[in-house]
Amino acid sequence: MTTTTPGLSRRRFLAIGGAVAASTAGGALAVGCSPASSTNTPVATGSGSSAKGVVTVMSQAGEFGPKEAKAASQTLGLTVKTVEYDLTKLTAMLASGNPPDVVRGMGATDTPYLAARQVAEDLDPYFAKSSLIKADDIDPVNDLWRFDGQKQGAGPRYGFAKDYSQDAMLWYNSALFDAAKVAHPSSAEPLPFDELLDLGQRLTKRQGAKVSVYGLNPNGLSVFITLCGMTASAGGKVLADDLASVDLSSPEALRAVTWYLDYAKAGIGPTVLNPDPNGWDGPTFQAGRMAIATDGYWFGGLFGTDAKNAKLAHLLPAPQFGTGQRISPCYGATGLWMPKAGKNKDAAWAVMEWFLAGAPAKARAAGGWGIPPLKSLQKLMPQTQPFQKEAYQVQMAEQKHFSVMSFTPFARLDAIDGIIGRELPKAIKGTSSAAQFADAVTKQVNEQLADGKKRLR
Amino acid sequence: MTSTPTDVRRSPAPTLVTSRERRKKKPPSLKRARTFYLFVAPWVLGFVGLTVFPLGYAFWLSLTDSDGLSPRTHFVGFDNYLEVFRDPLTLSSLGRTGLFALITVPLSILAGLLLAVMLNQPIRGRGLLRGLIYLPAVVPPVGAALTFRLIFDRDAGAANGILSGLGSNPITWLVDPNVRYVLYALVLWGCGGSMIISLAGLQDIPKELQEAALVDGASYWQSFTRITVPLLSPVILFQVITGIIGSLQSFAPLLLSSGTLSGAGTVPQGNYLYMIHVFAQYFSAARFGYASAMLWLLFGVILLVTLVILKVSARTVFYTVEPEGRR
Repeated sequence: MTTTTPGLSRRRFLAIGGAVAASTAGGALAVGCSPASSTNTPVATGSGSSAKGVVTVMSQAGEFGPKEAKAASQTLGLTVKTVEYDLTKLTAMLASGNPPDVVRGMGATDTPYLAARQVAEDLDPYFAKSSLIKADDIDPVNDLWRFDGQKQGAGPRYGFAKDYSQDAMLWYNSALFDAAKVAHPSSAEPLPFDELLDLGQRLTKRQGAKVSVYGLNPNGLSVFITLCGMTASAGGKVLADDLASVDLSSPEALRAVTWYLDYAKAGIGPTVLNPDPNGWDGPTFQAGRMAIATDGYWFGGLFGTDAKNAKLAHLLPAPQFGTGQRISPCYGATGLWMPKAGKNKDAAWAVMEWFLAGAPAKARAAGGWGIPPLKSLQKLMPQTQPFQKEAYQVQMAEQKHFSVMSFTPFARLDAIDGIIGRELPKAIKGTSSAAQFADAVTKQVNEQLADGKKRLR
Repeated sequence: MTSTPTDVRRSPAPTLVTSRERRKKKPPSLKRARTFYLFVAPWVLGFVGLTVFPLGYAFWLSLTDSDGLSPRTHFVGFDNYLEVFRDPLTLSSLGRTGLFALITVPLSILAGLLLAVMLNQPIRGRGLLRGLIYLPAVVPPVGAALTFRLIFDRDAGAANGILSGLGSNPITWLVDPNVRYVLYALVLWGCGGSMIISLAGLQDIPKELQEAALVDGASYWQSFTRITVPLLSPVILFQVITGIIGSLQSFAPLLLSSGTLSGAGTVPQGNYLYMIHVFAQYFSAARFGYASAMLWLLFGVILLVTLVILKVSARTVFYTVEPEGRR
């Protein structure tokens, strides 16, 4: 095992200096610059390895928090610390050459970006020697964490999903359907998008001008990704094959954009002009204030211990445009990756392996928190409660339509969503048409991508 | 008989001093200087290490296309600075920031001054009132911003709760175009800080001057405008300069009151000020070079504005003690 701990090199010192400089000039921003390079030689370890030292995990408290850190420390004989996930903090830590050892990420959208910048560690050597993760047990969804420099799904493995879902699937609250006297949708056939919008309008409850129940939230993980998925359902694609440009003005993409604008103008769910104060669907749905939510199978984990909602929550297939091409993509494949500049990689791998394939992975699978990324754990998916049994069946049927969409290495999803967030209000208010919105977003995103490509030259 | 050494009466010390002795006997001013430099050394070292050097490094960054992560960083000269003047979003956010400063700084100072004048009167419970009004100024900006976000939420906020109680429809406070009013309210909510500074200035004004004016027949308004305000002008100047610098650097309240921590792209256009755009360039677009150039430009703008204000103020600000120390 060869693990070197780089000292304060000239380059790193400069990088830290940069971080302080920017925070001085900007008042609030800590930045810097350092290539994420390392001389570490990866050596795989299994659970209970001899890896020692401190491992810092950057994740969300509900996923890998202090409780998990304590369990990891006890099981692996390491000191595991956690840092709450925050993109700004992560960027600053990476830039200053002092990253966490393990980081939460969305494989679907993060992998090309991280791999192209040589920020993420190639984990193939670790997987090759893993005692808990065997090659033939790996679910294909984990290919979203692979990138060969040209396309996603091939090349080295830079991370691994902790669980996944087909994120365009829907959950509905049957009590709100009953209250609005609307028939429950079929769990066997996907809803056409037009019908979904109609349902959303009928299910929205208002008190004067105030919306007390959102009829529908189609936003999912990001508006851009949602539009990409809808465009794919309409038979087109937003991102070009070389991943260097987008086109939202194609007829298929425009169909998606027009539908989304119709939804937003109808005022039946959260948009950039009327954000959900809870920030995500969970509390709103559980409070009986959202009739249909675009959240994949993992959302069911919420109801395992929520007897009231367990009786009301039902999973539905991903809606379609009815072009004959039924798709049901995974937008996230959320999991863990290891920064290349990490200082204790063997120990970091031990923690990753434990979390992704050890006891926590089994507990997640049994709790209904997403589909396990290891085939052997999928048999643990819960079917005890009626809603779990129903959701399991809907999910298994949906798996036939699983699809993935490549993301670009030339920009971050946040940057693209930022552009959409700036342009959407005009389009929702009607000061720009769907076509104008599509053109404006296409132009600005392509500028971003061109700039990103230039910087990677 | 020879005298013992102790008996020898030594002649007075020679006036010639060896170079070694000269080194030992340093002039008192040099000693004081050495002590001074010794005491300020920690600050100087910190200033050079944590400010001058990093600023220089940030300047170097601004001449590159660094994304903070990639090992490939290219020198691009002054391209980033030129782009600042071509980027419509940068220019619009700078303009919006200037307007924000123009509106909030005078309002905040006026509100603070008004409160200070009121609470400088011998009224009952003024200590408590001063404390209550100053309290928001000590609330951390993050807490204040999040509180305002809750108050002005469309469906669950207290503001719309009151409005609906009065029979009015809910207002979407946290999106355009109303979001800027929430921001102005947030800034004015913290005017207790300005009040405390003005109050200190008011209490420094000799009462005799105002009493003499009143005896001479001046009205309260005349006494206020001809005596109080001129004597308070250095305090107002201080507030104008620090207020403008603070406004131009506004960041956290904007992000937290109307956007989300996940990204600057969620901040509505009305609150999309310069520092939000800098944040977006750093952390969403990962354009470290460009964002560094934007910060240097902001530094230039702040320096220029401050110099202009100081120049203009030379004619309007009244000092009882000249800035150079002359009375």
